[in-house]
Amino acid sequence: MEMNEDRKFGLEKSHGDHLNNHSSGVSADWQFNTPAMSAAPPHPSTAASLVPPLTSSPLLSAPVPEAFVPGLWNYHTMSVGGSNIQNTTSAIGSIPIGRPVAMSSKGMLLSTPPVIFPPSLPHFPADSGFIERAARFSCLSGSSFMDMNLLRPSQSVAPARKASKVVMETQVQNTELSMTGDKAVSLPAAYGSIDQSRMDTQRDRRSSHISNSESQETNFCEGGQEGNVDSSDVAGNSSPSDLGANKRKRTIRDMEKDQVQRGPQSSSEATKDDTETKHKVEQNSSKHGGKNGKDNSEAAKEGYVHVRARRGQATNSHSLAERVRREKISERMKYLQELVPGCSKVTGKAVMLDEIINYVQSLQRQVEFLSMKLSAVNPQLDFSVERLLAKNLRHSHGSPLSIAGFSQEMSYPQVYPSQQGLGHAGGSTMVNLSDTYRRTMNTQLPTMSGYKEPSMQMHNPWNEEIIMQMDYDANHPPNAQEINRKPDGFTI
Amino acid sequence: MESKSSTTGNRDNPNRNLHGSKTMMASHFLRALFRIQQTSTSSSSAGRSRRIRRAAYASMAYSAGTRRAWSRALLRKLRSRARLRFPRRLSRAATPQRRDMDQAQVLRKLVPGGPSMDDCKLLEETADYIRFLTTQVRLMQTVMDSISS
Repeated sequence: MEMNEDRKFGLEKSHGDHLNNHSSGVSADWQFNTPAMSAAPPHPSTAASLVPPLTSSPLLSAPVPEAFVPGLWNYHTMSVGGSNIQNTTSAIGSIPIGRPVAMSSKGMLLSTPPVIFPPSLPHFPADSGFIERAARFSCLSGSSFMDMNLLRPSQSVAPARKASKVVMETQVQNTELSMTGDKAVSLPAAYGSIDQSRMDTQRDRRSSHISNSESQETNFCEGGQEGNVDSSDVAGNSSPSDLGANKRKRTIRDMEKDQVQRGPQSSSEATKDDTETKHKVEQNSSKHGGKNGKDNSEAAKEGYVHVRARRGQATNSHSLAERVRREKISERMKYLQELVPGCSKVTGKAVMLDEIINYVQSLQRQVEFLSMKLSAVNPQLDFSVERLLAKNLRHSHGSPLSIAGFSQEMSYPQVYPSQQGLGHAGGSTMVNLSDTYRRTMNTQLPTMSGYKEPSMQMHNPWNEEIIMQMDYDANHPPNAQEINRKPDGFTI
Repeated sequence: MESKSSTTGNRDNPNRNLHGSKTMMASHFLRALFRIQQTSTSSSSAGRSRRIRRAAYASMAYSAGTRRAWSRALLRKLRSRARLRFPRRLSRAATPQRRDMDQAQVLRKLVPGGPSMDDCKLLEETADYIRFLTTQVRLMQTVMDSISS
């Protein structure tokens, strides 16, 4: 079994060579199918007729979006059925495999891509396991298929089953959901973009529910790929890594909290179904069984955020929205608590706000105070800035011309005298500023608008050593100490 | 900082977000400082300090970009050449009741762009504002130290 799957996966990698690969490693069953495949042009009608036998099987495979590699699709359609599918192997064989046959319970079919891909699956692993692998497929761009799948063939089976069941439920309720439910499963990375987006929205809705319930799956999935946190199936983080990242964040957050924030829902009833599903799974966590049913409908109607009312709380939409708002505010207050020093022990919004106000006021006063001091100290700034620039620029490439580029206001003659004075100045004390300048120039100059620096690249190789070497005063200890002595404040 | 984390990323990865802003802030502020020092060698110290303070807020706002409501409001204020007036309220003894009512308003006055925000957004903006403020203060202190020593 595993061998076949591996072969299958290997085939996935090279879309273009599907046929060739398959022909080489095809088992008898598949070879039987091949002629059928080649002979069968995409016929939704014929496919539809063949679908019913498969509908009984708990197929994850949902209608596939247009642009789609048929081979992958076939995998999922074929293998997802698990034991059921195995029974109907013959039926499958007769199906023109080249098409992305939507094996959903609704028997939806999608247009078929021209490529005919003979799946080489003589057997169907447990649907759950396969679902998970399928999900992994989608998430990976094809390079690490084998690894992932080989990694946990066993683990996937048990937990994924639950997920698949959940998926089935939702699918039955909503065809649209089922369409995108298989999400990435059906989509290879290459075709990911268009359909992913569509699937994402729906996936978002479901991922939360599923992820909450299938926390275990997420856990064990996490090691292998970050993207496939959500158990296998539906929640499936999309194959594109960036989408996966988004999902990942979401799912992790889902696991952490009971309440989940989701993107906009496309259909309220789907949401309701989702919430109900989620609710069924989370029966244990909810404190109040009866109330939750009502809550779900309320939450579903709420639209943007899935919230569960707690026991003893009012469940009308107003109070729910208010509760959401309150939680947002408390979340921000917590973050502010971390920002404002010395506020970790403070509890209570009023006191906290007072502290915040005081802190902001004190910071603003500090800015004023420092600006006053700086204006008083300013006469020396000219010299120090020149010194700084000259030192840094001169050491990097020894050209005074670069200085002019950096500080356009600086009058040229000033540069040279300052350069002579450089060696004797307490250079180490300027290290911090030079650090600032250096980093500024290294990182920011290319991006800054009005900044013409002809020899920008020369600054890049700067590193701490160069600064260290700029220790004019032999008496001074190495600059590192100076740097350490400086307030943590501005070392970048 | 230009391509750094999104708004939510601000909260989640403060370090990552602030890194680029720091350098941008530093360079902007230092350049402004230098310019001020060059052009107003003879002007009064008060005028210079006002300009330096303005430069400080400008570099804060520029490094924060337009992602934030407070930085947008600040940039607007700076561009309109309005006098940068900041609330210097004397601490008055206020009854607790009054303080509760005033708190949000007080905060709104402190944070640029405050009046047009709801409470939730206000807290978010305050947090970001505080972060940039502390960075700016530290920058100024560092410049101060390096100049005077």
